[in-house]
Amino acid sequence: MLKIFRTAIIVALAAFILFPMLYTFSLSFFQGLDFTDSYAHFLPSSFSLRNYILASSDRYFPRYALNSLITAFLTASIRLVITTLSAFAFTHLEFRGRKAIFILLTATLFIPSDAILFENYTTIAKAGMLDTYQGIILPSLFSASSLLFMIGGFSSYDRDVYDAARLDGAGDIRYMSSILIHLTTAVSATIFIQTFIASFGSYLWPLLVTNRPRMRTVQVGITMLGFAVDGETGAQFASIIMITLPFVILLQILRRRVMNAIDIKEDNFR
Amino acid sequence: MKAYAFLLPAIILAAVFSLLPFLKTFISSFFTVSQSGKVLGFAALDNYITLFSDSAFTASVKNTARFTLLFLPLNTVITFMAAALTRKRRKLTWITEAIFISPLAFSLSAFALVFKEIFRGEVSIANRILSTSLLWLDERGSAMAVLVILGLFLDFAIDYILLISSFRSIDRSIIEAAEIDGAGAVRMLFQIETPAIKTMLAITIFMALKDAILISAPVMVLTEGGPFRSTETIMYFYYLEAFKSGNRAYESTISSMMVLSSALLMGAIALIRRKDA
Repeated sequence: MLKIFRTAIIVALAAFILFPMLYTFSLSFFQGLDFTDSYAHFLPSSFSLRNYILASSDRYFPRYALNSLITAFLTASIRLVITTLSAFAFTHLEFRGRKAIFILLTATLFIPSDAILFENYTTIAKAGMLDTYQGIILPSLFSASSLLFMIGGFSSYDRDVYDAARLDGAGDIRYMSSILIHLTTAVSATIFIQTFIASFGSYLWPLLVTNRPRMRTVQVGITMLGFAVDGETGAQFASIIMITLPFVILLQILRRRVMNAIDIKEDNFR
Repeated sequence: MKAYAFLLPAIILAAVFSLLPFLKTFISSFFTVSQSGKVLGFAALDNYITLFSDSAFTASVKNTARFTLLFLPLNTVITFMAAALTRKRRKLTWITEAIFISPLAFSLSAFALVFKEIFRGEVSIANRILSTSLLWLDERGSAMAVLVILGLFLDFAIDYILLISSFRSIDRSIIEAAEIDGAGAVRMLFQIETPAIKTMLAITIFMALKDAILISAPVMVLTEGGPFRSTETIMYFYYLEAFKSGNRAYESTISSMMVLSSALLMGAIALIRRKDA
């Protein structure tokens, strides 16, 4: 009895969670009439790849996607470098003001970026960086939660390796780039992937700092593609599937790692 | 010396894009500032008083409270249920895991566009499934309901992951001892395992609360505050005042209050973590 009850709830929940995603997939094949019919369709009335062809031949859509890939890649890689350098300093080096700097950096955890949007916008605008990649990525290059996560990763392995490498004459940069990186791949990969996905999915900040269509990221762009106005709403959903499917697949491949990536949670309502 | 060089990029970025902007906005909330940013004089608490006597602002506070009161319990119950019911690794666990983490791949704007379609007009798929004939996004109560559902989808996967991984990291010996005592499935869940993950549960609730009081982007893409400003939340009001009306007084006062409120919540989380460690 309990088991049937349990299974019923799981199935209901799974259906609830899956529905919008499967429906998006279905919508991506809808043609004009399927949207305007006198009753709402679950499935397209015929199968055709027309929407996908429309979306990929759109004047801006490929450019939006490219902008997002570039900015997400830059954000994730630069954040990884900055985080590695500072986590290394905190875990391997002795210096004055260590505690004060640590407190200063972690204090940023308490300041949600969404609540200081306007100030950051003014900074970027004054620096003449509206409509540039720098403008899009700069405010998210440092993250205190990534730093804490990286420090945790660094502290869990043996310091003897560092001392041995020092005796062999390896400098700090060399030690980081050829030894430490291999010892902490899992942590670095998690930070990279998590930052990449968050950055690729971000909406509000790129919306504010980009005006020229050519500089828009895909999350902002897909809401402005204008397919709906032309009666091609289906193409809008085809473009959503095109940017989402790679992440769905990636997520399933990395499921194990994602499921263990406890402890990092950032701004959620992206 | 080298340590400072390694830390420099982090320090600069933290200062320029987080600490200084907050200080600046906090200080200017006590001054009269012109639209171009020039300081015209000390205002003490005048900006705050004006803000709180603006009915549009108090309405946005009410809307945010309404959203939070609906979202928080639902989010907690749904994510807890999903994690609790699928926590034991079985043969088919990979299927539920695969389904429950998949919303992570969908972005805010993707979900918002789909929800607009699901709840669009009278001939919508939502009405067909629920046998209703609501104009979901055009009526006060139902537009808020759709916003809450969107919020649930945005938070579900990550909360599920946090909860299920804490369920799975419970010390096996506690569970085995309870099994020997003959604890049934329900007792096991509520009296043994849930108390063991109460820290993570509290953290996810506080995080969701912080997200809820700061909600703005979903409002922007889904409803733009409508209908009749019924979904205009505090941070959406902030966005309108700061970017559309150029109201510096509102911008700095709302910003300061929201940073302080979420800092309080984050402080609570830090305390919970420390107590647990």
